[in-house]
Amino acid sequence: MFDFSKQNISSHPFIMLFWKEIRRYLKVMVQTVVTPAINSALYLLIFGVSLGNSIDTGFDTPYLAFLISGLIMMSCLNNAFQNTSSSIISGKFSGDLEDLKVVPLSSQQIIWAMCLGGVTRGVMVSLVTMLVGQIFYHVTFGEFLEIHSWPALMFFLFFGALSYAKLGMFVAFLAKTFDQMSAVTAFILQPLAFLGGVFFSLNNLSPFWQKVALFNPVLYLISGVRYSILGQSDVSLTSSVIVTSVSLVLFHFLIAFTLSRSQFKRW
Amino acid sequence: MEKPLKIQNLTKNYGDFSAVKDVSFDLEDGEIFGLLGPNGAGKTTLISCIVTLEKMTKGSVSVLGSDIYKDAKNAKTKLGYVPQEVINHGYFTVEEILGFYSGYFGILQNKERIKYLLEKLALYEHKDKKVKQLSGGMKRRLMIAKALVHSPKVLLLDEPTAGVDIELRNSLWEFVLELKKLGTTVLLTTHYLEEAESLCDRIGVIHKGELKKIGKTSDLISELTFRTLEVETSKKVELKKTDYLKKQIGNKITLEFPSTLKVGEVISSIGLDLSCVTDLQLKEGSLEDAFLKILDQGRV
Repeated sequence: MFDFSKQNISSHPFIMLFWKEIRRYLKVMVQTVVTPAINSALYLLIFGVSLGNSIDTGFDTPYLAFLISGLIMMSCLNNAFQNTSSSIISGKFSGDLEDLKVVPLSSQQIIWAMCLGGVTRGVMVSLVTMLVGQIFYHVTFGEFLEIHSWPALMFFLFFGALSYAKLGMFVAFLAKTFDQMSAVTAFILQPLAFLGGVFFSLNNLSPFWQKVALFNPVLYLISGVRYSILGQSDVSLTSSVIVTSVSLVLFHFLIAFTLSRSQFKRW
Repeated sequence: MEKPLKIQNLTKNYGDFSAVKDVSFDLEDGEIFGLLGPNGAGKTTLISCIVTLEKMTKGSVSVLGSDIYKDAKNAKTKLGYVPQEVINHGYFTVEEILGFYSGYFGILQNKERIKYLLEKLALYEHKDKKVKQLSGGMKRRLMIAKALVHSPKVLLLDEPTAGVDIELRNSLWEFVLELKKLGTTVLLTTHYLEEAESLCDRIGVIHKGELKKIGKTSDLISELTFRTLEVETSKKVELKKTDYLKKQIGNKITLEFPSTLKVGEVISSIGLDLSCVTDLQLKEGSLEDAFLKILDQGRV
């Protein structure tokens, strides 16, 4: 199907950019894979093992299982977002973003190659988080946490990561400084993630805050993964699928529109 | 036959300011074309428009018949671009960078070409270093290697020797001449006019965004500069007063005349007896003189 020995300007530039995005985060594995795994381990230790016994989510499962499913999606979304955004921000800073404009890569190829690079990192880190979670679960309960639906889990991890990778590109292309980039992460994305039900269920909130939480799209992405693992979640599977799909389409159009008007020039 | 690079009515405006104004010119196959101009003349903006880093306000650019926007992939595959500023590339080594760049041009297996370029540009022993570990000259050479991984038909060099020592400059220009022999068409910008004069087949002078003059290097010099002839005679001689006679002090005579005239014609025109001449020194007009004259004309 592919002849890698010949010049091919249709698919090879895309393959190379995708590969470069993967190589970029593999070069700094400690920062991109090991650190998130340690963070997850700390969350599991503090919230899952230590405080978990005093938290009742209203689910049929132990709090540790509830937390593992939330952490898996949070790490997936964060890492997919960070991969594309840091690639673009560092490219703006060092100037290598210009390279993408002067080579035979179309805007769509740039979007998909970079975003799929982000997806591989998001999914890889989420699987590492799952592994850490399974170790904690086994140590605590003497058995591994059973996955309710692998296809649903893969669906939400893949498309959730893809949405956030596109969002990361969009924000990074718009950002004019490092500060702007950090502000979006600190003031919008992190609060949405933390308030999206990683650590608590809607059942733990008052009716008013339950209604407010329903406007947080991250709740649906996390609930999708939670359903895939536990077989139950705060919102219906259908609404999770719809929000994931809508996010994907919306963020794709946002980045496609931005890229058609953006400068690839260095800061 | 399609021109290697065809620029038609290229205009780039930033709000009310026109950085490039209705510039049109072609590159001929296998030539080295020098785009000269003072700082801020619009050279880099023009090149940035050619490679689509800047979106032109008006006009068109085609590379060997492929429009840079309508047939971008084909056009860009035929182009190599060396930017004025060095690019860092973070975590990757020299060899990895060249591998990625080859892939961007559709070549996933390019080890031989990369090895050739690394050796040619004296980077082979530094292939495992990251960009930040390279000296300024090495970084410049890496930029050139990147632009050549896909053996482009047209190479754009935006001040490739800025801040580079004379030895490296000479070696880079030698390499550019080698590329020309291999059939590459080169467009370069430089502030080293002497080097441009010896290197470029044709010159275009851009000033305040307008292409003021374009032509063969030798023709521009002939057209726009004067030759100076200093003559020493054995005794003070009587001469006919002409426009060419600039000064006569004792037995030293200075003549200045258009580069289109021959020395013999000028000597005859002032009635100088050659048997009295003890020494002659001829100074040709330079590209720098021509360049300054074009800029002066632009100020009028």
